[in-house]
Amino acid sequence: MSVSSGPSPLALPGRERRALYRARLRAWAPLLVLIGLCLLIDIGNPRFLTIANLVRVATAAAIPLVLALGTTFVILLGSIDLSLEGVLAVGSVLTSLLAANDANSLSFGLAVVPVAVLAGALIGALNGALHVGFRIPSFMVTLGIWFAGVGLATVLLGGGTVRVLEPLVRDVALTRVLDLPVLVWIALAVLLLAWVIQEYTPLGRYMYVIGGGEDIAALSGIPINRTKVAVFTLAGAFYGLGGVMAAAQLGVGNAMIGDGRLFPSVTAVVVGGTSLIGGEGGVLNSLVGVMIVTVLANGLVLLGVSPYLQQAIQGLMIIAAVAVSIDRVRSAIVK
Amino acid sequence: MARYNPAMTALRRRSFMIGSGGLALAATLGRNTGLAADKPVLVNSIRSLTNPYHATWNKGGAAFAKSVGCEYVTLVTEGNSEKGIADIRAILARTNGNMVLNVDPNDSPDARPIVEACVKAGAHVVTQWNKPADLHPWDFNPYYVAHISFDGVRYGEETANHLIQAIGGKGGIVALGGILSNTPAIERKAGLEKALAAHPDVKLLDFQVAEWLNTKAHDIVAAWITRFGSDIKGVWAANDDMGTGALEALRAEGLAGKVPVTGIDGIKLAVDAVKAGEFAATVSWDPFWQGAMGLSIPYHARIGAFDPTKEPKLHREFYGTGILVTKENADAFAKEHIESDPNLDFNDLWGRISGPIRQS
Repeated sequence: MSVSSGPSPLALPGRERRALYRARLRAWAPLLVLIGLCLLIDIGNPRFLTIANLVRVATAAAIPLVLALGTTFVILLGSIDLSLEGVLAVGSVLTSLLAANDANSLSFGLAVVPVAVLAGALIGALNGALHVGFRIPSFMVTLGIWFAGVGLATVLLGGGTVRVLEPLVRDVALTRVLDLPVLVWIALAVLLLAWVIQEYTPLGRYMYVIGGGEDIAALSGIPINRTKVAVFTLAGAFYGLGGVMAAAQLGVGNAMIGDGRLFPSVTAVVVGGTSLIGGEGGVLNSLVGVMIVTVLANGLVLLGVSPYLQQAIQGLMIIAAVAVSIDRVRSAIVK
Repeated sequence: MARYNPAMTALRRRSFMIGSGGLALAATLGRNTGLAADKPVLVNSIRSLTNPYHATWNKGGAAFAKSVGCEYVTLVTEGNSEKGIADIRAILARTNGNMVLNVDPNDSPDARPIVEACVKAGAHVVTQWNKPADLHPWDFNPYYVAHISFDGVRYGEETANHLIQAIGGKGGIVALGGILSNTPAIERKAGLEKALAAHPDVKLLDFQVAEWLNTKAHDIVAAWITRFGSDIKGVWAANDDMGTGALEALRAEGLAGKVPVTGIDGIKLAVDAVKAGEFAATVSWDPFWQGAMGLSIPYHARIGAFDPTKEPKLHREFYGTGILVTKENADAFAKEHIESDPNLDFNDLWGRISGPIRQS
């Protein structure tokens, strides 16, 4: 969310000054939308802005945030990662089979967390390697890995559902520190990690350059292939962690635990202001996007909106949020 | 390098296509003549193998196929109607119609093209759960053998009654419904409303659609706790996956066991929750039975054990019998159905008929 600094706006001629203000407004638009949404919902149901409900909103947003952060990195590259649901399934199934559960006698406790994250990272690395090595578009590779991941999870469980009995894992969702579940703290820690990667590591800077113009990046000597594989690996690791969190929250591991999570994740990233073409946006944008999507879902239930209308409203909201934040002047060609 | 001549390339490409097409045709023809005298192939078409309900259905089908020594094939639709129909057409072609099909159509309209394809190929078919109201087995004799469903209204009402009983006959409850256009979702909701009409002291605070998914149910219940707080005395869910998602949201607020939940489907998690006092009731359709008998019925029709045209309409379109699981019978039910595979008599074709299907 940065606008280039230059001469003071007041020193610019009228047309350019207005363009600069518009650009700044656009950069802050998602946040303004979020604030506006919160105020509207609170007018409709004052219980929205209570601590108890905000804790519930944060809890509902924790897993989508971790997933959206992984997706953000891939979208910044200009690629897309559809394998989210598959990696989540594998992560949750590994967690449920290796920690104390009702299907076998293994009980590795919290050691399952690095195992699931590593598994996610390996699948992500596979995504990256196939994309870069065989020059298959990321859409196709990750689509295939999505189904392969769900299939692997199905095979591991034989189609069944396993209950997670390990108290340390369930506590991730059930214990609270400062009134927020551990789940939320994990999401915040991941957010901090992602922000540090984006702002302070070469990997983070390379993501933007490749997204903004891959041919220029190549000419500048940036290690494109290595960066792409690293980004997909990172995304996969985030999804694997998301799988652990989902198993903790829902108390089960099964192959359909990821169902329906891809769309809200990509929506959150786009609504937050990250461009699908790449090179624009970032981690904080995705935070705002996830909050918009979660607050909207929470608000529609709080306001008692008929279930028949909810999907329609969510769709319209997405269009409105994106319309407010895209730069129509610069993107002369719209596909 | 020879000069590129588009005309020559086109000619060579065309002869290659014709040649390989001919080879493929010969291969399929050759294969088909071999299958004619064989036992029928038994085919189960279900949504996916990733949910416990259909996974058990599949086990039932495999057990039956083993008992009669036939080849067994499972088709999954993955929630995609076109894929479901295309896969069925493909296997009808492969087996040249020498098969029986037990299908849980992805959506009601799918049943018609599936039945018509089976009839055209001469394969015997049983549909379960979803079909259009004007599609009847007796209009497609003898190949469309039967349609089996379960009375969603009756069981939606029974679980609602048990929930109302568990909360003491009065108070506020919330309800989670399945995908709005699915027949079971509509029927079970109607059953819930019947139960509510009979108990004026119980109020339905809100009804939301969680689309059969536990993750959606979890988030909706969390929002409800904000909206209604301690006014929520019980949660009615149209299936167990949503019920277990709701249970976990309650658990995060320390309400598991205090606010009873009901579901439908009879999956292991739900039965365990009934045993633990967190679920008030669930209903099992015995998917093992559905997967096995849904094949046994058309199989016996095909081998001539009975003539579908001579059977009464009650045997062509009927409701099966669900098993209501409550605290009283949860232990016995788990022992018989979950810890081991049920002991079915595959020849008892009509034993579980509970009534004719309501003609709307």
